[in-house]
Formats: sequence, C-alpha cells, structure tokens
Amino acid sequence: MRTTFFLAALCATAVAFAQAPKGSIAGAVTNPNGSQAVGVTVNARLTGSTTTARATTAAGGKFTLADLAPGSWDIAANVPALKGFEQKNVMVEAGKTTALNIRLEEGTQMSTLGEDTLAAMAHAKRHNAPTGPTPRTVDGKPDFSGVWWQPVVTDPGKPEWLPKAIEIARQRTENNRKDSPQAHCLPSAIVRARPLHQFVQSKDFLVEMFDDDSPGFHQIYLDGRQHPKEADYLWYGDSLGHWEGDTLVIDRVNFEEAVWLDQDSHPHSEMLHIIERYRRPDMGHLEQEITVEDPGVLAKPWTFKRVAELGPSETIREFMCTENNRDLDHMVGK
Amino acid sequence: MSIRKHFFALAAVALGLCVVAPVSAHHSFAAEYDSKKPVTLTGKVTKMEWTNPHARFYVDVKDPNGAVTNWELELGSPNGLMRLGWTRSSLKAGDSVTVEGYLAKDGAKLANAKSVVMADGKKVFAGSSSEEGSK
Repeated sequence: MRTTFFLAALCATAVAFAQAPKGSIAGAVTNPNGSQAVGVTVNARLTGSTTTARATTAAGGKFTLADLAPGSWDIAANVPALKGFEQKNVMVEAGKTTALNIRLEEGTQMSTLGEDTLAAMAHAKRHNAPTGPTPRTVDGKPDFSGVWWQPVVTDPGKPEWLPKAIEIARQRTENNRKDSPQAHCLPSAIVRARPLHQFVQSKDFLVEMFDDDSPGFHQIYLDGRQHPKEADYLWYGDSLGHWEGDTLVIDRVNFEEAVWLDQDSHPHSEMLHIIERYRRPDMGHLEQEITVEDPGVLAKPWTFKRVAELGPSETIREFMCTENNRDLDHMVGK
Repeated sequence: MSIRKHFFALAAVALGLCVVAPVSAHHSFAAEYDSKKPVTLTGKVTKMEWTNPHARFYVDVKDPNGAVTNWELELGSPNGLMRLGWTRSSLKAGDSVTVEGYLAKDGAKLANAKSVVMADGKKVFAGSSSEEGSK
C-alpha cells in the first residue's frame, strides 16, 4: 500500500515536472491608421535560443502565443510595405499572460496604392518561378539573362558600422530621408534590392536594368579589362566580372561619393569595395552573395545573401523619373 | 467575411511565413505625408497623370458651402500599377470617387491615396484588377 502511494506520488511529480507551467503573450495588432490587422504572423523566439513560436492574428487583430516557456522572448512581426515590428526581452511568467499590443508603423515606403501591402501581396501572387536546368550561353557559362523579382534576403549578415556611419544614417533618417538621391531622381542606394531587375548577358558584358531608378542600367564588363588606374567615380561604380566555375564574381569599386550605400541610409567612403558572387543553380533562381568592404564605414567586411526568382512574364518598363517629380516641392525634413 | 477578404487574410499569412521583400518606393512617406492626419475626400476626378516617378490624379471636392477645391492624390508608379493590371484609363476625368489617404505635411491640397472607391463601390488600384473584376 505504502509502495503504491509512493509510486503514485512519484508519477505525479514526474508529470508535473514534464508539464512545467507555461505562460503566454497575447494582444492585438493594429495598422498605422488604427484598423485591425488580420492575418499577420507574430513570431517569437526564446531570447538567445533556437526555440520559436508563432501566432496569426484573427478577428480584431488578436493573437495569442500560447505554451511559452517562462523567460525572455523576442517578438517580431513583418508586414510588406510597413516598418517591421520588433520588441526584445518580453518577459513570460509561468501561468500568466503577458499583454503585448503591436501598432504597425509606416516605413520608408510610400505606402500608397501600387506601393502598399495589397500591392506587395498581389505581386507575390505572380511569383511562379519556372523549373528546369540552368540555362547556358554558347560558351557553356551560366546565362543570367532574364527579368528577376526583388530578391529575398536569406542571410542578412551582421554589419558592424563605425560610429561615424551610424551618426550619418541617424541624421538622414531623422530628416525623413528627404535628401536621398533617389527622391531627387538620382540612383538609389548601391546594395538596394529593386522591385524588379533584368540581366542581359553577352560574352563580354552583363547589363543590369531596373524600372524604378534613373538612369536605370549599368554595365558589368566580362572582357578581362582592369579597373582604371585613375579612379573615375561613378554612381553605380566600376564593375568587372570574372568566372570562378559556374559563379560570376563581380568586383565593384570607384563609387561616386553622393550615392547612399543601403536602404538604411548609411554612407560609404572612397575605400568602398563590393564583391558580388552570382549563381543560377537552376532555371528559376538567382543566388547572390554580396560582400561590402569599406574600412571608412564598417569595422569589418559585411556579407549578406539573397535569392531572386525569375519572373518570365514580367517586363521592365521605362522610368523617366524627372517626368513629373512633383514630390520635391512638398518634402519636409526634421 | 467575403471570399476576397479571406484571400487577403490567407495571403497575409503566407507572406508572414515567407518574409516576402517589400516593394520599394521612390521617396520616403514620412518626408511628405503625415500618418497622424488621415483624410477622406469625395468628388469628381478632373485629371489623371500616368507619369513617373508616381501616377497622380486630381479631384474636385465641394465643401458644405459649395466652394470647390481641387485636390492632388498621389499613387505608386505606373510600372507597379500596371503589374497589378491597372491602366491609365482605370480612372478617368468625370468619375465620382471617394479617396482615403494621408494629408501632406506642408499643408498643400495633396494626399497620398490609400484607397479609391468608385460610386458603384468598385475599388480602383487596390490589389489586382482581376480580383476586383471577380467580386
């Protein structure tokens, strides 16, 4: 009898231990205009671990992240065309619900019809990358020709900006990016992923074209030439490519000082050197690994990766930016 | 909930999972518009400009005293709108519309268009035109 009681107590303890009390995080997500954001994925990560949880907002924009281990959780929610939400170290206590309401904010986007969340979703629906082997040129090299959708970042890397670069980016952002070259119909940031871009490839050069940037194209020379001895500073830089097996390695230097480096408004110095490694592993995908070296703004080289899908039915439309750039007259800074 | 709303809810879920890269704009929203100043304008379209870097249209809006003000409304660029199935004739002079948007910070009679609804309830420039047509 005593033994039975002991075993039962032991089992109860074991069950209790296995089902350690969990906690939850609950709240609602609202759009910048205050409306309820339905269908938004809220991601949680136990701080410093690989343990994750996920919830999707339902009616009223409400969500509950249930069965969370007690401790610190990092929360993120991303909606296309809006500023990404992130809050670190949200504490969860056993048996309790932590309240977290998320108000999404406008980002650096225009967030107007054609450039808003619905447009991003409609564009995403058009993605249907074809399958098949890597197309090749007559001399056997992978052929990157085609129209490519905006690549998705698969590894953002960890840029270590120098204080001077952080300060300039902060000032530019605080000033509403009013002075961004792109707003003045000059080329957009160097490593910016454009909504669509097209490659036209021949043996001696690769031409990249865009339809939301001016002038909207630049050349990458594949003919074995060297960078000029005397730097000729260019908005898209001086770009030379060579093959390492099936990888096209593009070496870019000599960037015009006025061009911004990335969409987060960081500057660059005359020491900027970018190495891009492109692969087309199959018909429908273009892999890009980009390394940014610039001792003037980065403590060490920053490498990030992204993958684009082929958009075989898409076309690049002309983009005459100065045609009707009426925004400049209305733009205000800090 | 309509089928279309269901679709958008599901699409949003799918997007959340896939982390689709956002579309990018020619200039910053915050430099020109105030997200704390939403506005609703109803009136007749007077002109459409199917131009870069942004398409624009103009609407005559009557105030309660009968005075008419011509408002300028900013859209995305024609390339992005055309990819959604819209054209320069999707909205024409004479169309009656209700526009929701955000006011310009500098006090001009200017707003960015977050939604455009025709008198018959049809939404213009939202999502894609094929979905609008199937509702």
